[in-house]
Amino acid sequence: MTRSGFWIVAAVILVALMVLGVSWGTVPLSLHAVVAALAGHGDRNAVEIVRALRLPRVALAALVGAGLGVSGAALQGSLRNALAEPYLLGVSGGAAVGAVIGVALGFSSAVALPLFAFAGAAAAIATAILIARAAGGRADPRVLLMAGVIIGAFANAAIMVVLSGAPANTMRSALWWMMGSAAGADWPQVAWLAGYTVLAGGALLWFARDIDILALGDESATALGVNAERAGRRVFLVSSLLAAATVAAAGLVGFVGLVVPHLVRAAGIRRHRPLLLGAALTGAALVVLADLVARTAHPPAELPLGAVTALVGVPFFLVQLRRFS
Amino acid sequence: MASSAFVWWRALAHGHLLPGTVPILRRVHAVHAVPVLALLIAGCRDAPPRRGAVRVDDFGEPVRRGSAVSPSRIVSLMPATTELLFAIGAGPRVVGRTPWDLWSDSARRIADAGVGLRPNIEAVLARKPDLVLLYAAGENHAAAQALHAAGVPVIALRIDRLEDFRRAARLIGMATGDSARAATVVDSVDRTLARVRSATAGLPRPTVFWHVWDAPIITIGRGSFLDQLLTIAGGRNVYEDLSQPSPQVSIEDIVRRDPDVILAGPDGAARIRASTTWRAVRAARTGHVLVVDTSLIGHPSVRMGEAAVVLARLLHPGAMP
Repeated sequence: MTRSGFWIVAAVILVALMVLGVSWGTVPLSLHAVVAALAGHGDRNAVEIVRALRLPRVALAALVGAGLGVSGAALQGSLRNALAEPYLLGVSGGAAVGAVIGVALGFSSAVALPLFAFAGAAAAIATAILIARAAGGRADPRVLLMAGVIIGAFANAAIMVVLSGAPANTMRSALWWMMGSAAGADWPQVAWLAGYTVLAGGALLWFARDIDILALGDESATALGVNAERAGRRVFLVSSLLAAATVAAAGLVGFVGLVVPHLVRAAGIRRHRPLLLGAALTGAALVVLADLVARTAHPPAELPLGAVTALVGVPFFLVQLRRFS
Repeated sequence: MASSAFVWWRALAHGHLLPGTVPILRRVHAVHAVPVLALLIAGCRDAPPRRGAVRVDDFGEPVRRGSAVSPSRIVSLMPATTELLFAIGAGPRVVGRTPWDLWSDSARRIADAGVGLRPNIEAVLARKPDLVLLYAAGENHAAAQALHAAGVPVIALRIDRLEDFRRAARLIGMATGDSARAATVVDSVDRTLARVRSATAGLPRPTVFWHVWDAPIITIGRGSFLDQLLTIAGGRNVYEDLSQPSPQVSIEDIVRRDPDVILAGPDGAARIRASTTWRAVRAARTGHVLVVDTSLIGHPSVRMGEAAVVLARLLHPGAMP
């Protein structure tokens, strides 16, 4: 696929999936009814389904996907690790611990929760990188992944300890959230996530040149006059904030950040400014699709969103892993 | 073979998501029915001759009659049986409960022996019980065996529906030597339920969505006593077609079923009223959210009659005196 072809195809697919996401659901609505409902006309139930349920949900899914895609692309570039992504690096797990502590302390608003999640995410990525360096993992990308997976396991254990005294339904909520879901999306939540996504995504686009240079290796970076240490730290922190905001909004949704940058690179896009934008588009499309599957595959129940993305992402991960062995 | 093919066809025709699951389950039941029956017959040979209808608990273990030596230190690991023990006058003999057993007030003073699913065996044994009442879920099999091995009699009971409560009351009454009072308690619950049923019999039946939990949204299905209480109180559960006691559902499916009324606990009702997503449900939009006292209605036990009265008054103001 040519590069211009990629942009057209990605944009068309995203728009088509968003239209599908708004028009398809448990309640069958004709396209005509959906259009009328969008304008606020027609059957009251249809208007509420489209405007209060499906639209914010599709918007939230798209933002979660965009955030995870951009975060994954930035981490893969700056770490020179094609297997890096927020979920596998333990960043999402750390964010979850932060968010659970935030909720336990009584901060459950859409504004404050991402900040608690961010604190957890930043701690997680810093620890993962330290462990990998101590283990001499600069040469082997799998060492960093292992450190990340271990931190993710520690995060799960920490959450279980915090929740051990909780009643059964609270436990069920926590497990549900740890598998990710866009159910219950509302406009204030969408607005806050959009704010965080634009802020952190914009910052990463600003750092895109640095990521390009980091992707060449530390020595090249130094030769080109970039402080690799400082530039890297900035990218890790902002990527973690972006991932943490998605975790606070929709729980743990894995593997999107892994799959999406590869799809964009497959279209021949290498420089990080277009790569990050392409990852935002593709990630949004992927999660909108995954959420559509999650809410319509098994009515009247919903599947966890993270389970759907994992079903796609794990085989993809294994294929990528083979390239290193 | 022919009937199995028919089941397949029917599953496909009715659009099951996984057509295989239904016939496979049925086939498994059919294949296992014979050996299970043989085991039951073999088990009955060793058991003392049956007099009443109920002599074994829900794990199939025999229950000892408590009329001669009645247990004096009972640990009750589910709220339903704790309520029942107090109602039949065995409350003073209860020496352990779960953190959720908060009725009656005297129950709160009893030592907390830990949770009822996968209980902490040491904490239970520390109460030096001579009878333990346990919820008969698969994950409690190991606990029942461990307690048996420690020489402590166990009665495992699966109390999900009204009829489970009646059977559990008879069994527990027999084991504690309070059969007569247990029968009285069951009778009084049944009489109240009958009174509510007849009071609501001729009335129009509003369709009800029962909100148990928010994220994920959990409601009640046919497998729960709450579904039965709702019917008795003159309502109709919009999820009566689901067999699980507490299924998870999506909000859009609730919109599709379009209940007349939403029942929720105080916290749930407040969240529904404040939420913009719940506005999609007509009952929430039009203010038909009714608050139920979840502590009264939560357990399939002696207060079910009272609970049915409360529900009937909520759904049909003026119908119950």
